[in-house]
Amino acid sequence: MSGRLTNSVRVACLAGLTATCAFSVALIANQLLVHLDGDYLRISVPHLNFLSGKPLERLKDGATVAFVGQVSISQVPNAMVADAHSVARFALSYDIWEQQFSVTKIGERPESRRTISHLTAQAAENWCLDNLTIDRSLLPTDRPFYVQLDLRSEDPRDTLGIIGEPGGLNITRLIEMFSRPARSAQPRWLLNNGPFRIADLHKGLRG
Amino acid sequence: MGMRRAKAASMFSLGLSVSLVFLLSSSTLLFAGQSFLRAAAETNVNQRYTIESVSIAGVKVENAKIPLSLRRRMTALVGERCDTTMLEDLAGDLRRQLHFQAVNHHLSKGSEPGRIRVNFDVIRKDVGFDLSVPKFLYSSSQGWTGEVDASTHVREHEFTVGAINNGDTLPERFSGVTARYEDSRVGSDRVRFGIAFENLHEQWSDQARAAATGEAELYRTRRNIAPELTVAVAKNVTVSAGMSFEQLDSQSANTRSANALTGEIHYGSKIEGGTAQQMVDAKYSVRVGVPKLGSDYSYSRHMVTLRYEVKSGRQSASDEFLGGMAEGDAPLFERFVLGNSSTLRGWDAAAIAPLGANRVAHNSLTWGYQMGEGTAEVFYDAGALWRTGRPAPMRHSLGLGYRQKMFFMTMAFPITEGRMSPVFMAGMIY
Repeated sequence: MSGRLTNSVRVACLAGLTATCAFSVALIANQLLVHLDGDYLRISVPHLNFLSGKPLERLKDGATVAFVGQVSISQVPNAMVADAHSVARFALSYDIWEQQFSVTKIGERPESRRTISHLTAQAAENWCLDNLTIDRSLLPTDRPFYVQLDLRSEDPRDTLGIIGEPGGLNITRLIEMFSRPARSAQPRWLLNNGPFRIADLHKGLRG
Repeated sequence: MGMRRAKAASMFSLGLSVSLVFLLSSSTLLFAGQSFLRAAAETNVNQRYTIESVSIAGVKVENAKIPLSLRRRMTALVGERCDTTMLEDLAGDLRRQLHFQAVNHHLSKGSEPGRIRVNFDVIRKDVGFDLSVPKFLYSSSQGWTGEVDASTHVREHEFTVGAINNGDTLPERFSGVTARYEDSRVGSDRVRFGIAFENLHEQWSDQARAAATGEAELYRTRRNIAPELTVAVAKNVTVSAGMSFEQLDSQSANTRSANALTGEIHYGSKIEGGTAQQMVDAKYSVRVGVPKLGSDYSYSRHMVTLRYEVKSGRQSASDEFLGGMAEGDAPLFERFVLGNSSTLRGWDAAAIAPLGANRVAHNSLTWGYQMGEGTAEVFYDAGALWRTGRPAPMRHSLGLGYRQKMFFMTMAFPITEGRMSPVFMAGMIY
């Protein structure tokens, strides 16, 4: 009886340990890290893997997939209104023959566009995050702050066919768009971390 | 009772205002999204490859049962560079014309490096019908105008029922229900057949009632059945011919028929130049009331519209002319009107001619400058509305506005002697 109990306790402890490890790995994997690089605050998220699921399927079909990322600085976590923020838009595509990714950062003006190609999925993800910067001058120097990353995929099918169809504004498609569950239609990653102090960030990656 | 009506009317106005704000704000966001996604599509790395073949739902385009115009466009892709923006446009047209829920293009490796195959995957609709708003308009002088249509498709057959409340296009405000059937392919892609039904109730302004005394009999309801055949005789030209069987119930309970033969010729063309893009649109329509068809009215009505637009860079200019004449004893709904959302903007139609008139000439000159996703515009309208043998006073109006595709906001100033009252208009017209 006592041996059986001991075995049960061992199994329970092992399961608990495994779950704790998996949870810790998951936490670390999705942790938003920040560091200062010259005049910019840069972010990174090890193994974020946003090129997966539906966006990856569409990329491998040869379509262009757009992502919009926003980095926000606030005094409290998950603030509704940010003290400072920067937005970047990325267009990704997958080379059908070379089986590699290409990314273009789309700026306000055509001349501000930047493109990089022949990337693996992970390299493409890293390039996007590395180009999501915020100007150092916008960071508060006298108080701690929180950093938030909001990254989402833009679905072209959401907006097509609503306006300009024969018949004017298509209410059916508008209802479909608004009633579709946001999680399945538009993949989104929302990560927070902090508080950070600018003096600590000089020492390297913080998370 | 009066209080309750006033409350209901104010709730209705509030509801319409909220709807308008929602539609305008949604459209602004959607236009911004479309522009970004189009810019994104232009960066696709597969654009350097040549298209080897095109298929739809796995069936080669040569064997697919699709309209000729779509087949030609799809066939023309073979041998060309893979322009993903064009593929997106084509997918949209396939979805629209074949009534699918979604059409997505899928690229795969071709028979040799540098060549790719395109397949359009299709998803059929879950819901069998569409709800749309072809017209939605608010004018601070003439109130609300709106149309809602529900339509369903079976292959090339389209059935539509709609509700309408319109105070913008005729001397009277009319409201009621409409129904339409259209076969977009009668034996050939070039021939279309449609039949429309309307059951409308009319509301006349006090000015119209006063003007009608001793001159014309006002009607309170109108029913119409109008079959029409349209043939695409050339790439840019269509010709339509049909009939209109209309019954009018007058205020004094008399019923009169206004049956007519109808016809229309339409020409539309787009000329792409090096730096400028030009668009020409011309239309001539005729309606002839024929006693042999059982009509109590004997008349003919002719109308011409010409529109020319040129765009270069951020700037655009357009000129639109409207001319019309009606001869004989035409019913009131056949009369011309000026002073609405598209002619002599800012003027009150009822103040110009409460029952309309049988002669019209109007010109509208617009200059636009693209700002963001939309276009800021200034316009100058000039026109005359008169009756045969009477003077034709010319009226003018100026205004400015902002337009994003079919959505617009306008502030119009009628040029009159004395006090000038600006009129605000907003809405969407397809």
